[in-house]
Amino acid sequence: MAVSLQHYMVLATILFTCGVIGVMFRRNLLMVLMSIELMLNAANLVFIAASRNVNGLDGQVMVFIVMTVAACEAAVGLAMVIALFRKYGTIRTDFLRVLRG
Amino acid sequence: MFALALFYSIAALLVFCAVMVVSRRNPISSAIYLVISLFLVACLYATLGADFAAAIQVLVYAGAIMVLFLFVIMLLNLDPEHLRGPEMHGGEIVVLLLTIGGFLGIVIAMATAAPTLPSGIFTLDAIEKVGGNTLVVGMKLLVNYIWAFEMASFLILLAIVASIVIAKKPKAEVPSTTERGH
Repeated sequence: MAVSLQHYMVLATILFTCGVIGVMFRRNLLMVLMSIELMLNAANLVFIAASRNVNGLDGQVMVFIVMTVAACEAAVGLAMVIALFRKYGTIRTDFLRVLRG
Repeated sequence: MFALALFYSIAALLVFCAVMVVSRRNPISSAIYLVISLFLVACLYATLGADFAAAIQVLVYAGAIMVLFLFVIMLLNLDPEHLRGPEMHGGEIVVLLLTIGGFLGIVIAMATAAPTLPSGIFTLDAIEKVGGNTLVVGMKLLVNYIWAFEMASFLILLAIVASIVIAKKPKAEVPSTTERGH
């Protein structure tokens, strides 16, 4: 029995779930950003695993673009973390409620 | 048979590391587990024949993004109130169970479907004959997806400018130069 697409998709779903749980239940902003990176990697895994079945290498090209976007988002997110810490002294998401109504 | 055993061992390590990422108290521990997870994902890309993606994953994700994370964690110098594990208030346990239940449903639906094996003309042997995975992916990126490539480079420029502007120290009040020492 060879490794099929379903194997990779089940693994990617488990990784994505871990990322979602991290975003929901961690109160540290850095941990939320790290969980987002985990989710992005799960999506990348699906792209590459599925590109074998779709008769093309478009999935692998897409992964290149997704990695670029993830790097940019991590850079800007971390810059915001630094700015928030400088202004409010905390990066707990409980206390950062300026945008809340 | 070996491919299946390899996949299961990498997958087991990966799930363990992912659970460790979201459950550790210390952000440094989580960051290190995330580096290991990203490297294991690169191993999975390599087993799928995506050599270029595996190399870029190690270079960009584990080598640049996570280093950036670790630098920020070091610079912030967090005090113990930030070093708490996952926190679940009151009714959020229901949300947790619903999330796990939902994804478990997806997992079961996929695991019981008929296995889809790789198909098509883009087999590993055919790609090797043409010149390797990097050549083929590079050609596709720069010929078919040239617009996305240029947009991605522009996006990086935007991200550089944005992160510098956001993280810069706010300018202190500049004393008027006409009143100095006259």
